[in-house]
Amino acid sequence: MIHAQKQPFGDRAVTWVAYIFIGLFALACLYPLLLVVSVSLTAEHEVARNGYSIIPKVFTLDTYRYIFIQSGTSILRSYGVTIFITVFGTIGSLLVTSMMAFALSIKSLKYRNHIAFISNFTIIFSAGLIPWYIVCVNVFGIKNTLGALILPMMFSVWNMFLLRTYFANISASLFEAAEIDGANYFTIYWRIALPLCKTGMLTVGLMYALTYWNDWWHALIFINDKDLYPLQYYLFNILSNVNAISSGRIPTGAAASITLPAETVKMAVTMITIGPIMFLYPFVQKYFVQGVMAGAVKE
Amino acid sequence: MSSLLKTADTPILKKGFIYEMKKHSLLYLMCIPALVLLVMFCYIPFGGIWMAFTDFNVVDGIFGSEFVGLEHFEFFFNSSMGWKVIYNTLFINVFSIILGVIIPVTISIFLYEIGSKKYKSITQSMMFFPYFISWVVVGAILYGFFSSDVGIVNSLLESLGLDPIRWYSEPQYWKWIVIISNIWKWSGYNSIIYMAAMSNFDSSLYEAAKVDGASKFQQIIRLTIPMLKPTIVVLVLLNVGRIFYGDFGMIYGLIGNNPVLIEDVSVIDTYVYQSMRTLGFSYATAVGLFQSVMGLILIIIANRAAKKFNDGEGLF
Repeated sequence: MIHAQKQPFGDRAVTWVAYIFIGLFALACLYPLLLVVSVSLTAEHEVARNGYSIIPKVFTLDTYRYIFIQSGTSILRSYGVTIFITVFGTIGSLLVTSMMAFALSIKSLKYRNHIAFISNFTIIFSAGLIPWYIVCVNVFGIKNTLGALILPMMFSVWNMFLLRTYFANISASLFEAAEIDGANYFTIYWRIALPLCKTGMLTVGLMYALTYWNDWWHALIFINDKDLYPLQYYLFNILSNVNAISSGRIPTGAAASITLPAETVKMAVTMITIGPIMFLYPFVQKYFVQGVMAGAVKE
Repeated sequence: MSSLLKTADTPILKKGFIYEMKKHSLLYLMCIPALVLLVMFCYIPFGGIWMAFTDFNVVDGIFGSEFVGLEHFEFFFNSSMGWKVIYNTLFINVFSIILGVIIPVTISIFLYEIGSKKYKSITQSMMFFPYFISWVVVGAILYGFFSSDVGIVNSLLESLGLDPIRWYSEPQYWKWIVIISNIWKWSGYNSIIYMAAMSNFDSSLYEAAKVDGASKFQQIIRLTIPMLKPTIVVLVLLNVGRIFYGDFGMIYGLIGNNPVLIEDVSVIDTYVYQSMRTLGFSYATAVGLFQSVMGLILIIIANRAAKKFNDGEGLF
């Protein structure tokens, strides 16, 4: 029996190296996050004295209490902005994307390749940041509006093609039967295609939601109004001030006017930013894996 | 003769533009919201490219400002900063591509060798997680590592009896810190793509190799890697096509407004953003246009290469 034989030394070595390499790399991915959690739960004086540490030596919830109660409403407002753009952005994106994906999955649509080309071309060539910025600000007037945080990200060509592969897998005979019964294409899309593509919609919806939740770049470009800062941009502002002062090249007068947040506050704000992702991660991870795989097979 | 033409004509007429629009009107209507967004944010801005050849001022507008030809491009190529940002972009991207193949391929090959399902799924979840956090959060984590006073790295250096380093005022390390952060964030994601390719491999080949007495190491070198080659080539070519594009979010998220570090890790994208304020809209547009054109040329070449390599299957 093959099973009874002991594996040769070389093969066992490969297996051991595999276990060790994978284990170390996985730890390298988790360790920084544990560090953030730990520091956010440590007392400030302890961090200032002994530096960052993976185990909270003096455990406290004071930092979170401070952020939510003492520091006023600004962080809660940012949280609200982020939740608003994530919810409404994702719903809008799903509608816009799935309608086009469904239309392009219908093989009898004569100009589907033209529309696909119009979409694809935007991936391979773009006007660049400045013309885009000027059009957004001067023509559409989206500066300092919530629209600036939703509309530019609302349609992703990549996600559209991903969703199209899900629609294309539905048997065409189902659509034909509905057509004979007198259903129009919108009814077919709404009543038949969408319910059959729940997984695809969930996958693409989660990908959009992650994009909206993690976006701070559009806020950097378009938002000056502090009331409209999303959570990520709130964090970015804290960090980039710290960062600039650490360089040692900011004049002392200017540095003195910026109050540095405590180490624990920085990490607690980071935790608040990624908290919902960490919480949902175990449940949603498999949909992302599926999305990446579906995209990879397509390519 | 004329009757023949007629019979040939009728079906074409029947399938003409108007007929198609009527027949599938709802489907075309369903494409309109997405097409409007594409026109708004991708096609209308093409008009603004003209700014690259003028001295844009707000009063005269995009098409009324004075035409200056290629002046801005000349300035870009004659400035030391121009070459520096091109060099930085290529440096960061080339090493990200190389390490971005080696590490994810190693991960997926090793994951394949791991028998314990639990170990596999837990480690995979851990490695995929960095993909879910933004560059700003990665920047916050990096600060925990490299901060001069409280950072982990300096504590480690001190405990080894070495001098601490003021990382945030020493630009020479940061290209590599950026590259390693990039690999850290994307390796889990990329290894999933390679795992997807490996799940389609013919297992009978491995059975045959085992019967012939091939060791695991030989199977990896002779079977797995050659079979992964098409996937590797496609992913590398896709990245080569984007080699002139830097990751704005990555650079700004990690460096913030640090004036000392930004010079050494500034890529074309961040340079465009910065020069918009200091050197004007027209100049920044010209730099962006140079980047877009280089990107277009490279992606077309990469697509040709992919077709040659993959029997006619291009990148898009």
